Amino acid sequence: MQTNQLNEKLKRESRKEKRKDFILMLIALGIVVIMLFPVYWMAITSVKSDHEIFAKVLTFIPKDITFEPWLVQFRDRNFLYSLRNSIVIAFTAMTLSLSLGITAAYGLGKYKLPFHNSILLVFLVTQMMPSSLLLTPLYLFFARTSLLNTFLAPAMAIATNSIPFIIITLRPYFMSVPKSLDEAARIDGSSAFRSFIQIVIPAVKTGVITVMVISFLHGWNDLVYSMTFNVEATMRPLTANIHKFMDQYGMKWNNIMAYGMILAIPVLTSFVFLQKHIIGGVTSGAVKE
Amino acid sequence: MKSKFGSKRKEGLLFTLPALIYMLALIGYSLIYNIILSFKNMNVRTFKGGNSVFVGLDNYIELFKDPVFLMVLKNTFIFTIACLAIQFTFGLIFALLFSKKFPLSGVIRGLLLVSYMLPMSVSGLLWRNMYGLDGVFNTILMSLGIIRQPIEWIVSTKTALLSLIITNSWIGIPFNMLLMTTGLTNISKDVYEAAEVDGATKWKKFRYITAPLLKPAALSSVMLVFIYTFRAFDLMFIMTGGGPLHSTDVLGTLSYSYSFTQYKFSLGAATAVVLFAILFVVGLIYLHLTTKEEAS
Repeated sequence: MQTNQLNEKLKRESRKEKRKDFILMLIALGIVVIMLFPVYWMAITSVKSDHEIFAKVLTFIPKDITFEPWLVQFRDRNFLYSLRNSIVIAFTAMTLSLSLGITAAYGLGKYKLPFHNSILLVFLVTQMMPSSLLLTPLYLFFARTSLLNTFLAPAMAIATNSIPFIIITLRPYFMSVPKSLDEAARIDGSSAFRSFIQIVIPAVKTGVITVMVISFLHGWNDLVYSMTFNVEATMRPLTANIHKFMDQYGMKWNNIMAYGMILAIPVLTSFVFLQKHIIGGVTSGAVKE
Repeated sequence: MKSKFGSKRKEGLLFTLPALIYMLALIGYSLIYNIILSFKNMNVRTFKGGNSVFVGLDNYIELFKDPVFLMVLKNTFIFTIACLAIQFTFGLIFALLFSKKFPLSGVIRGLLLVSYMLPMSVSGLLWRNMYGLDGVFNTILMSLGIIRQPIEWIVSTKTALLSLIITNSWIGIPFNMLLMTTGLTNISKDVYEAAEVDGATKWKKFRYITAPLLKPAALSSVMLVFIYTFRAFDLMFIMTGGGPLHSTDVLGTLSYSYSFTQYKFSLGAATAVVLFAILFVVGLIYLHLTTKEEAS
C-alpha cells in the first residue's frame, strides 16, 4: 500500500516534470523562430522571381522557387573576381596568422619565458584595438611601400586580429599536452621544431582546426581593411564590393539576398560541421585561463 | 643543467618572438604613429608635399568645438550602452533557459548562434532590406494593427540609431548568451542542492546564489561587449553610411570618413585616438576585473 502511494506520487512528479520540459521547449522554439526569421527571410527572398519581388504584396512563402538570382552572380565577371579576391585574402590572412599564432601559442603554453605574463598581456590588449587606429598609419605605410591594392595589405592587417585570438585559444591546448610525448621525440634526436610539427600539432588537432576555420572566417568577413587598402574594385573582396553590387542590382532584392547568402555560406557550413568547437573558440577570447 | 634551462628558454622565445614582433610592429607602430599624426596637420596636400608640421592640440580643439563630433561621441555612447543593456538582459535570460535540460535544448541553442556567426556585412544587407518602407517589418506591424503609418526606420533621423541598436542586439544576444552560459556552468551544483535542502524558492536561489556568483563573469563580459560594440563600423557602413545627417555616425565611421573621404588624415587620427583612449580605460578595468577574478 505504502509503496503504491509512493509510486503514484513519483509518477505524478515525473509527469509534471515532463510537462514543464515541454513548455520550456515551446518557449525555446518560439525564441528561435523569432531570432531566425531574418535568416529565413534572406533565404526565401534569394529564390524569389523578379516578378514576385516587384509585386505589391509581400509573400512569406515564395510562390515559385527560382535559382536565377543565384545563377546571375556566377555569370557576372564582377562577382567572380570579387569571389576570387575573398578567397585569396582569407587564405593569405589565415596562413600568415596560423604560422605566427600557432608557434607563439606553443611557446607560451609549453615554456616559461622571461616576461611571460607581460607577453600574454600584450596579446590580450592588442586584441581589443579598434581597427580605426590601424587604418591611417597602415594606409600611409602601404602607400609608401606600394602595397595598396594588393592582397597582402588587407591580409596583414586582418592577421593582427587573428594572431591574438589563436594564441589565447590554443595555449590551453598546448598546456595540456603531456610533456613525455614531446620529450620522447626529442630523445629520438628530433629538433624542437620537428617534434612540434610532427608530434605536438597532431596531438592538438581539434584546437588547430578550430583556429584555422575561425581565422579563415576573419579574413572572409573582413570589410574595413579590404575597402580601405584596396580602392580598386577588381582587388576588392565580396564584402567590400557590396555597395557596388547594390547599385548594380537596384531594387532587385532577390539578387542582393542571393549575394548575401553566398557570402554567408562558409560560415554556415563550417558551423554545421564544427559547431561545438566553434562555440568554445568564440568565447575563449573572452574567458581568461 | 643550467645551460640546458637557458637553451630551453631560448627555444621558447624563438617560438614566441615572431608573433610578438609582428604585433608590436603593426599595432605598436600604428598606435604611436596615430598619436603623432593627431598632433600634426597631415592632409592629402601636406602628405604628398611631405611638409606637414606639428600643430599641437589644434585637431583636438577643432573636434571638441565641432557639434558634429560631439553628436557622434554621444551616438557612440548611446549605441553602446543601449546594445549592452538589451544584449545582456536577453543573453542572461536565454542562458538561464538553456541551462535547463529539455528536449532539443542543445539543437535550439546551436541554431540561435547563427545570427552571431553571420558576417556583419550580410546582416547589414539583410536588415536594410527588412527595414524598407514597404519591407517586411512594416508589413507585419501594419497587418497586426500595431502601426498605421509605415515606420521610416533607417531613413529617418529619429529612428535610424534605434534601428541599428536593434540589429546589433540581434547579432550580439547569442554571444552574450554564450558568455553567460560559461559563467553559469562555473557555479557548482552543490550550492543549489544545499539550498534546495534548506527549502529555498526559485527566486531566492537566483537572488542569493546565481546573481552574486555570476557577478564577476557578468562584469567582465559587460566590459568585453562594451569594447566590441564601442568600435562599431561595419553595420553603419553597410546600412546607413553614418546618415541620415550623422544620426548613426559613430567614432569608427567618423574617423574613417575624415581620413578616407575627406583626406584629413590628422583629424581622422585624432578621432581614432579619442576612440582608443575610451577603450583603453574600459580595457584597463576589464583586465583588472579578470585578473582579480583569477586570483580569487
